[in-house]
Parts: sequence; C-alpha cells; structure tokens
Amino acid sequence: MARKQKNVILLTIDTLRKDVIGCYGMGESYTPFLDSIQDKCVRFNNCQSVGPYTQASFPGILTSSYYFEFGREKQISSKRTVISEVVKNGGFTTAGFHSNPFLSAFFGWNRGWNTFYDSMMDQVTDHAPYILGDVINSKVDSWVNKHTSSEDYTPFFLWAHYMDVHEPYVPKQEYIARIDPELKITDDEMFQLFKDVVLPRDTSDPAKNELLKKLYLAHVLEVDEYAKQFFENLEKSGVLKDTIVIITSDHGDEFGDHGSLSHDGRMYDELINVPLMIYDADQTENQVSDTVVSGVDIPPTIAKTFELSSPDSYCGQPLLPLESYSSNGSFGEAMGKLQHKIKPTDRPAYFYQEENLRISYRIEDEKWEMFDLQADPAEKENIVESSGSASDMKEKLKAQMHVVAFD
Amino acid sequence: MPKIELSEARVAELKQKIEKSKEIFKMAYDRFEVKDQRMVWSAGKDSTLMLWICKQFCEENNLPMPICFTIDEFDVFEEIDAMLKIYAEKWDLRLDWGINIDVVEASGWELNADVTVSDLTKENQAEIDRIGFGELERFPFEAESFIGNHLMKSVVVNKYIQDHDVKAFYQGLRWDEQPTRSDDPYFEDVAADEYTPEQTRYRPILHFSERDLWETTLYFDIPYCSLYEQGYRSLGAKTTSLKLDDKKAWDQDLENTIERAGRRQDKEAAMERLRQLGYM
Repeated sequence: MARKQKNVILLTIDTLRKDVIGCYGMGESYTPFLDSIQDKCVRFNNCQSVGPYTQASFPGILTSSYYFEFGREKQISSKRTVISEVVKNGGFTTAGFHSNPFLSAFFGWNRGWNTFYDSMMDQVTDHAPYILGDVINSKVDSWVNKHTSSEDYTPFFLWAHYMDVHEPYVPKQEYIARIDPELKITDDEMFQLFKDVVLPRDTSDPAKNELLKKLYLAHVLEVDEYAKQFFENLEKSGVLKDTIVIITSDHGDEFGDHGSLSHDGRMYDELINVPLMIYDADQTENQVSDTVVSGVDIPPTIAKTFELSSPDSYCGQPLLPLESYSSNGSFGEAMGKLQHKIKPTDRPAYFYQEENLRISYRIEDEKWEMFDLQADPAEKENIVESSGSASDMKEKLKAQMHVVAFD
Repeated sequence: MPKIELSEARVAELKQKIEKSKEIFKMAYDRFEVKDQRMVWSAGKDSTLMLWICKQFCEENNLPMPICFTIDEFDVFEEIDAMLKIYAEKWDLRLDWGINIDVVEASGWELNADVTVSDLTKENQAEIDRIGFGELERFPFEAESFIGNHLMKSVVVNKYIQDHDVKAFYQGLRWDEQPTRSDDPYFEDVAADEYTPEQTRYRPILHFSERDLWETTLYFDIPYCSLYEQGYRSLGAKTTSLKLDDKKAWDQDLENTIERAGRRQDKEAAMERLRQLGYM
C-alpha cells in the first residue's frame, strides 16, 4: 500500500560537473546509473548553484539564501532557516549524513536534524580526507531500516552527501582502469599531483591537466556506483516507492577550462551550472525542464512536498509542478578568490543569469564578463561591451548583490 | 532541603530516568564480573551522575563498585583534580589514572612546547602515523589538538583496556550532548581490532538531557565541580575549555545554546579536515 505522505531524500554530490553525466548529452557518460533512472526523473537542464564552492553554494541548497545575505559569518546565521528545521518543526523526522568539514556542526549546520552525522570525529586519511560514499550509504541504510521498521513510521527528510569526487584525486585502481587501461599511477603519485599541481593551480602542463581530469572521472564512476548502491538499499528497505529523491551537486570542478584547476570564486559553467534531477517512483516518463532554476529552489521544493510553508527568509520557489514555476533568473555570489585559501585582499564576485545569458562581476579588478551560453558554451568571447542586453543584465545583477564589509 | 524546587511530577520523572539507568547497570552486572568492568570518570557532570547512580545501584543490590578510570591529559583544572581525589576517598573508590607519560616527557613537562616525534616511543610514533601524520617531525603539545587528543586520550584508553583486559566499559554519554550521539545504543559489543580487545560499552545515562542532568544533580544533591557554578557548560582540557556565559551552567539557556560550544575539539577536528583538503 502506498503511503500518503512521501519521504524526501536530498542526495548531494560534492564537486560533480554536469557535463560528465550522460543524460545531459554534453559528452561521454561516466554515470551509467544516473542515466538509467531518467525515466523516473524530472531533469533540470539549466540549474545554477548559488556559488562555485561549498561554503557559497550550500546556503542555497539547505537554507534557500545567498552566501553574503547575512554578512560574513563564522557560523551560519540564526537568521537563516535550515530546511531540516522547517521539516522537523513540521512534525517529521530529519537525518543528515555527510563528511564535508565546511558543513560540520562546528559551522552550525547541525541545526534541525534529529540525527546528524558529520564524521568530524572519525579517522580519515590524507589520500581520502573524508568518509567514503559506501560508508555514508551503510550509515544511511541502517538509519532508514531502523526508522522505518514499523509500518506507521513518521515520514522523513534525509540528506546524504558524497565527498568522493572532491580532490585530492586518488581514486581506486579499478576505476582508473575503466577510464584508461593504459594508465599506471600509484596512490602516492596521485597525491603528489594534488600537492604539486592542484594546490598551486599550476596549469602550465596540459598533459597534467588531462591526467587530473582522468583521475577525476574515475572518481565520478565510483560515485555513480555509490548512487546505485544507495538506490538499491532504498529498494531493499521497501521505501523507494514512497520516497522522492532530489539529486544535485554543490558546484563543479575545473581542469584548465578557464585557465585554472579545482573550484575557486569564479562564475563559469564548469563550476556554476550543476546537475539537478528529481526522482519519483510514480513518475511515468522522463520530464525535462530547460528553465533557468537555482539551488535556492531546493528547500522550498522540499517544504512543499511535506505540505509545509516556506519561511519568509527563503529566496527560492518550489520547482514542482513545472508549470507553476516562473523563472526570475538565477543569482550567485562568492569570494572571488583564485586559490584554495581566502586572502585578505580577496573581494566578492557575483553572477546573474537569464535564459542563455550570464553576466559576472568581480569587485577586486572591477571586471565584468558576459557570455551567450548558447552561441558560446565554452565562454570564450566576452560580450559585455558589445551586447545590447549588457546594461539591463548589469542592473539586474546589481539589484541582487549583497555588499559585505571588509577589515 | 534540595538545592532546587521541582514539581512532584518532575521529581517522579527524574526518578524514572535514574531507574532506567540502573537497568543498564543490571544488564552489565548480569553479564560481566565486576573485576572486568571499568567506569570512565572524569569528575565532569555526566560521568559523576553516572557514578552516583551506579553507587545507588550497588548499595541497593549489595554489589561492589567497578574500578574507575580517569585520563590525565596533563592539562587539567585544579578543581577537577581535587574533586577526583576527594570523592574517590569519600566514596571509597578504586581510581586508576592513565597518562601518556612519554608525550609529556618529550614536551619537557610543558604545554605548547614542541614535541619531536623521533623522541617518542615506537608505539606513539606508530599512532601518529596511523592518524595520517607520518611525515610530521614535531608538533606542539596540546591536549585537545587532533594529535594531542589521540595520543593523550584514545591511546591511553586503548592501552588501559588492553593491559587490564577490560571487558565492559561504562561511558557517561548523553543523546542530546551532540547530534552525532543521538543514535548511540545503551550497550554495544565492539569487536577486537589491532588496538583493543573485544569489549562491551555501556552508556547508562544516554536518556538524560542536559536539563535532566542538572535537575537530578541539584535535587538529589549529587556533587558537581565548582567550575559549573562559574559558567562552564562542558569541561575538557583546562586551556581549551571556554565559558561563554558567567551564569551558573543550569541557569543558562540549555535548550537553545550549544553545550559544547566552549570545547575546542570540534573546531580542531573540522580545521584538520580542511587542512587535509588543502584549505588551511
């Protein structure tokens, strides 16, 4: 018998580029599992993360707000409402499982969860400084089985987050072999690349950029396997049919696409344009949306599924039903840092996107860039001086940007 | 006259919670001989409540108390040290002290002094390697840094369990202490690994919230360390425990503020991960 109120699972995959996911049709597929569930998914082809790295993007995904909306915070502001708080206060059960230090209890992300696992007290290694996806899966699985052991369990909202794609790129040999059977590299050599090439953002050797990309793709294959296992566990537990699963990424990753590596404070497609799909067992065919949507739309979508109203602080709107969504363009902001660490001289950078146009502004060098993503998907030709839409786009960006004070 | 006024219903509720804890002790005593049991007692509020309930249980059932075990991190509040000594004597407890003396000696008996890794025993060096710092030459001696916490606590506990062949271990953890604990079971059989023999961990006071704990402590006149009167909510190492408020611990907004906000350990753990990911 189908349950009246569905559960919601938010499955976020750190650092997952959209163009490696086959069903987006942007290139070769490294995600056979994610491709295979599309007939039960609504897929969003044009979702922008509200920031190009975790601290900047997760305020959107979990609190429907922007990074600088409440100034610069040591811990997340009490003025933000974590979606877990909304759902828990609505009388449902909440659980979160992840291994990203930026999302740990120390920074205040443990608000609103009945169960919260951030792994910070667990042991990890330098080669994989996080809990692997299969361990996250087993923690989720045991929680789900325990929670749903009685027929009349309280519907739940569960968030699980995989770190495996994130650097350092030290994937298991079996996945490297699937990417390139000729490639022979030891774990230590891979880790050395992280220290010598990724951390200093050294893109001078194209062969190394390509090698790093291969290692990254091996991790994508791995994480796709974890996603498969995740769904199989839900199926075995008998809850998949009663559960909506939202799958997205907090940001992408760069391999020399715009002259750098990793994911810093820049607003290009490889970092900002993220996958987003909503799985529902009751879905009868694949549905696709080309509308510009945003990470801030995820919390209102979750609230609505539980028939709860969104708090006033929420900037987004429910993604479903598709026909009720009216796009206001998408916006995002982050420190415009160009390296791993934030320097005192770094200043914010912003973007605004409407249909196929994205404009960005870096305060530090007062640089505006605008690209027509349809005509120029690689974002090579800056049209901010030539396009008739530029001044209108500038105004729309300025209307949304949060200005923050610096020491 | 109790130190706190509570309604009859509330007192009955707290008594029930105490009885629940006694059930856990009974389970442990039914399964293990007392000589194989140990109770971790730091003289903090949680383990002192656990100890007090155990004492009630033993008196009611005419059973001997388990041996208590405390970890000396070499960065201890004098008030905690005094409480351990005074109540060990007053309650006639056997109290074992554990310390990783090798690390203390290598620091020249000085907090924050540099410890040279090669000065340590092979065992301690292997432990540093195990937590991913194999390349490190020296580190500052801090009880609650990532390395310090491992060497001064985890290693000491593991060694003690091994040396004394401890089979049952009581921990004064509470579900509401931090969200990561909210799923901990009352008892757990832990399989042997390279570092520790097989053991069962009992957590008799899991169901006490911070509010329950303080009301029980005050109402039943259970001893507590005077630092809680000065505003400390959670006591760890002396130099890294902070008080965020001057109000007595139990007068603070227990429900809406974080008990462990004054502990640096959580920060250290998050910072260490960020370092490994290259962000620090």
